[in-house]
Parts: sequence; C-alpha cells; structure tokens
Amino acid sequence: MTSGNDKYKKMIEILRNSKPGLPRSEEMEDEVIRRIRNEKSKTETASGLIEAIFGWVYIGWVRRSLIGAAFILVAVFIYQQASILKQVNNMSKQVVITGIGQGPASSSELDKKLTIYKISSGLSDDREIKISEKQMEELLDSYQDLEEKYKDLLRIIEENPELNKYIEKKLDEGKNNKPDL
Amino acid sequence: MKGKIINLIFNIMKNRKLKNLISLILVMTASCNQPETIVTNIVHRDGSVTRRIEMRNSENKFEVSDLQVPFDSTWITRDSMEFTGEGDTIWVKRAEKLFSGIEEINSFYKSDSGANKDIIRHAVFRKKFKWFNTEYNFSEVIDKKMQYGYPVREYLNDEELQWFYSPNYLTMEKQNGPDSLKYRAFNDTVDKKLEKWYMKNLVSEWIGEFAALTGEKVNSEMTQGSLKQRENEFVEIVLKDIDHFDSLWQNGTILRKFIGETNALKYKAEADSAATIATDRFWVNFKPYTVRAIMPGKLTDTNGLVDSSGYLLWPVNSDFFLTELYIMRAESKTLNSWAWLVSGLFLLFVISGIALKRKG
Repeated sequence: MTSGNDKYKKMIEILRNSKPGLPRSEEMEDEVIRRIRNEKSKTETASGLIEAIFGWVYIGWVRRSLIGAAFILVAVFIYQQASILKQVNNMSKQVVITGIGQGPASSSELDKKLTIYKISSGLSDDREIKISEKQMEELLDSYQDLEEKYKDLLRIIEENPELNKYIEKKLDEGKNNKPDL
Repeated sequence: MKGKIINLIFNIMKNRKLKNLISLILVMTASCNQPETIVTNIVHRDGSVTRRIEMRNSENKFEVSDLQVPFDSTWITRDSMEFTGEGDTIWVKRAEKLFSGIEEINSFYKSDSGANKDIIRHAVFRKKFKWFNTEYNFSEVIDKKMQYGYPVREYLNDEELQWFYSPNYLTMEKQNGPDSLKYRAFNDTVDKKLEKWYMKNLVSEWIGEFAALTGEKVNSEMTQGSLKQRENEFVEIVLKDIDHFDSLWQNGTILRKFIGETNALKYKAEADSAATIATDRFWVNFKPYTVRAIMPGKLTDTNGLVDSSGYLLWPVNSDFFLTELYIMRAESKTLNSWAWLVSGLFLLFVISGIALKRKG
C-alpha cells in the first residue's frame, strides 16, 4: 500500500511540476497580432470606401447641388405624372363611339354641293356645262338604278295611307324650313 | 377632263325641279363605285408606321383612281366577300404596308393618283424624350383649299362644332333614334349656319382673287380692303338673287350692284376669272374616308374620336379642310423604366449621404 501511495504522490508531483508549454508560441503570438491588425484594416477600408462615396456630403457646394438635383428630379416627376394623370382623365371623359361606318355623304356636303352647283353653273359661258361621256353614262345608269331602288319604297309608301300622310307632312315641313333651291 | 367631251346644254334644264334632281343625281353619281375606306395607322416607337387600308365596295372593283388614299401593288392585300344583314354582298379588300418612316408615307401622298389626288396631305411624327417618359406625336394633315375663307368655328358654337366634326353615320343615327325631333332641329340649325358660312367663304374668296387679279390698277374703292369691308353687303346681294343668280351674273346685274356700272364693265373678265377660281376651290374634288390611329403607350391627347376598342378615329370630308388645315392629331406617352430606376437610385444615394452626415 505504501509503495502504491508513493507512486501516486510521485506522479502527482511530476504532473504538478510539468507546466503546459505552447509549441511555437512566438508564431501564435504573431498570428494573433496579425489578425487583430487585419480586423482594424478591414474597418479602415470600409470607412474609407464610405468616405470616398459619400465624401461629397462634406463639400458644401457638391452637397447643395446634389440635393438641388434630387429636388428637381422629384418636382419633374410629380409634374409629369400629374400632367399625364390629368390628360388621361380628360381622355376618359371623351365620348366613346361605337362602330366605324362611313355612311352616305353628309347633308351639309349635299347642301354645299347643290349650292355651288347652282352658282357655278351660272358662271359657265353660254349657259353650258361640260361633262365627259363616261360621266354622262354614269349619270344615266345611276338614275336608272335610283328609279329601280326606290320603286319598291314608293309602292310601300303608297300602300300605307298613314305612312303616306306622315311623309307628305314631313315634306311640307321641310319645304317650309329649308331654303328653296 | 379626259375623253370625249360632250356638251350638255344647260338651257334644257329650265325646269327647276329637274335641275335639282340632276344636281342630286350628279352628287350621288360621284358616290357610286366609291369604296368605303378606313385607313389605320399603327404608329411604332421607332417612328415606323404600319398602314392598313380596309376598302368595302358593293362591286368587286377597286381601281386605284377610285380609292381615297394612295395604294399600289407593293401592299400586301387580302380579298374577301361578306354578306350584310339584308343579304347584300360586300367585297372587302384589305391592304397592309409597313412604312419605315413618315417620309415614305409623305412621298406616297405626293405621288398619289387616286380619287383625292387634288388635295395636299402629309403626315407628321415627333418623338420627345422627357426622362421619365417619351412623348409621341402623330398627325395627318390636309391643307386648306380656300385662301381667303373663314374658320368654321366663327359660325358654330362648341356643340355645333362637335356635331359638324362627327362621322355622318353617328349624326344620322341620332336623327333617327330617340329624341329624333330634337336632333333634326339641331341639324337644321347647323345646316343653316353652314349655308351662311359657304356663302361668306365664296364671296370672300372671290374678293381676294378679284383684288389679286385687278392688282394695282384699281381705284381706292376697289382695293381688297375696301371690298372686304362691303363683304356682307355682297353676300346679301347674292342671297337676295340666289334663285336667278346665274342669269343675273351673266348679264352683270350682280356685279354692277356691287362695284358699280363702270367698274363692272371694265373688270368683267377679272370678275369672271375670280369667280371661277373661287368656285373651283370651293368645289373640292374629294371622296370622304375615315382615318384611324393606334399609338404606342398610353394615349394622352387627341382631337379625334375614340372608339370602343380604344382606337382613334377621324372622319374626313371636304368641309373640314375648306378654309383651314385639318389636323388629325394624337399624342401618347410611354414610360422609361430604366429612367425610373436610375432616378430612384440617385435619390437613395443623396438621402443616404445626408443621413450619414447627420449621423457623423
């Protein structure tokens, strides 16, 4: 037992005397210093970059110019968008029409043509008007065509006394209102 | 006038009713074989324009000389046949062509040999860069025919002007629909005002041309200014004798009443020439059609009508460009998304800078 105790005590003594020793402690020291320095340099680089990008805030005239430009940009944007909005609103108020048909010549067009025909015919020498043979043929063809087309219409009107009366009344009204051509 | 000319003795038309009937038929004849034409301009951002023409006729006849807008064999065409509700056959010719720019359209207009070759037309395209958006302006312009006429807006109020510039089928629809009596009365009012306008334009044109033809040789009473001052008087003289205008003009009665016996004798030739010029300008050889436009981006302004599909539409008839330019104008805008992005970044940059300074 005594020899066992002695061995134990000796081992404890050896362990106590053997201090933990760092291998290449100098290298480790250097590494720690390098890392601390790197950290510092990173912070310095970032702040340098910010300094470079936003350095203008410390130069009065540049700062004022950029703020001015930003205000102008915002003002232009607001003005343009407001004006577009106003225009689009105006457009939406515009009457939307349906269909794109062309229809017959307008009554004003006819009136104009009749008026001018009447006046211009009097300006030709010797009370003559000149038209080509083709136009004359077209005139006669159209006249026949017109007769054919309106034959049925006239028959319908004649067969219906009420309709006949109504049309006569309207024609009389038209006669009173329209200038006599 | 080409071809064999035959003379139609006007004296045979003693009967006024017959004269009116023939006049009406002449007007209607002019409308025969005339296809209903709709021209659609699809305007692209780069200024090129796809032009589509849709021609509808009761006959399968689409002669270039009958067409309202320039058209030739370089167009891609498609023919079809449609039936109306009444069972009538309608022949449809659709044509399409991509124009690289407005200049190409204008050169087409210059070399037009169609039904409306006598009128001067051109198109305009402008593109303005406005940072946040780009503005596009497209117009089709028809030159005025009369040099000394009055703008129609001097004779019609806003409501009447709207009626005047409306497509005929719309005004007809209103006159035959509910409130037809109201619309017919309104139409009559517009017509009466337009008759006055026609007459005033004719007289004004005659005065302008007469003064130009007589030039410096006239006395102070016959200058353009003096004649112009008496314009209303001349209109009254013409209107008073409108039923016998032709004979009274021929025997010089009307001219004597206006410029006096001596001047009427001395300047009869100039007066006749001026009258011919004035009536030639008034009598526009023109076949109506419809113009449509589709603009890039959002439509922001136009003087045309908007149809249910959002397309722009302008009817074109000779009254519209009689005394002033007829401008069919459209404006649209497109957003420049890259400019929005750049502007946003710039604002962020400035705001961050200021915030940083305050923090510092």
